[in-house]
Amino acid sequence: MITEFSVDIEEKHSIPTINVHGEIDIYTCGDLRKAFSKTTEKETASFILNLTHIQYIDSTGLGTIAHAAQEIQQKNGHVYVICTKPQINKIFEVSGLLTKNISLFENEEQAIEKIGDQQ
Amino acid sequence: MIKKNEVLLTIPCLPEYVGVARLAVSGVASRMNFSIDEIEDIKVSISEACTNVIQHAYEHTPTENEIIDIKISITNDNLDIVVKDYGMGFDISVLGSPEQKEKSKEKLGLGLGLTFIENLMDNTNFQSEIGKGTTIQMAKTSPSLSH
Repeated sequence: MITEFSVDIEEKHSIPTINVHGEIDIYTCGDLRKAFSKTTEKETASFILNLTHIQYIDSTGLGTIAHAAQEIQQKNGHVYVICTKPQINKIFEVSGLLTKNISLFENEEQAIEKIGDQQ
Repeated sequence: MIKKNEVLLTIPCLPEYVGVARLAVSGVASRMNFSIDEIEDIKVSISEACTNVIQHAYEHTPTENEIIDIKISITNDNLDIVVKDYGMGFDISVLGSPEQKEKSKEKLGLGLGLTFIENLMDNTNFQSEIGKGTTIQMAKTSPSLSH
């Protein structure tokens, strides 16, 4: 089944959390890009990207994330990706994106801990 | 005995139909002995192929007048997928070149679509003819069923 795509921005931690549901592909990555622009235009460049509830991602989704990461790099911004699905982690690894200012975490607590370390 | 089954699918060359191709191929692949992870690999590969067509096969943004032909065939334990477009075609010797990566970046891509397909499938083959279109063929063999 294709779950309806949705994206929302939550302000519950020191940096915003972007929660995504559904499948990230060429059709839905435009909406994701809009959510990134809304977040990255603010003072705090870094954000948490919660991909726990996505069913699918491909190179278009990764491209969208990579561009957002690139934009915030000059403000020393970092993308903290939360993802538990092995298949999606594998896609990140194949892409080679994780050497930049994007890192993967298994859960929100781990990401928050890391953010705490860096501030 | 060789047993061959084929599924043919024609989709409009539009972003909202890539998910349909993905659903169809996962339906066929799940009839074989692939693991869930392998089915995911196949879904990513067919999506990358269709996304490539939508992003690169035409100079203009494709409309519902352009189509993508997909053929999914099962021969014994082998899943073979052919994704064919009727776009402008390209010189396949530029694949993987810095110019091609640059072009892909302009379209907010990573230039990784074909790399993904090559990594996730067992066999891949690209054919393209200027003015006629491009065909991507990819295959994956499922682990044999133990009898």
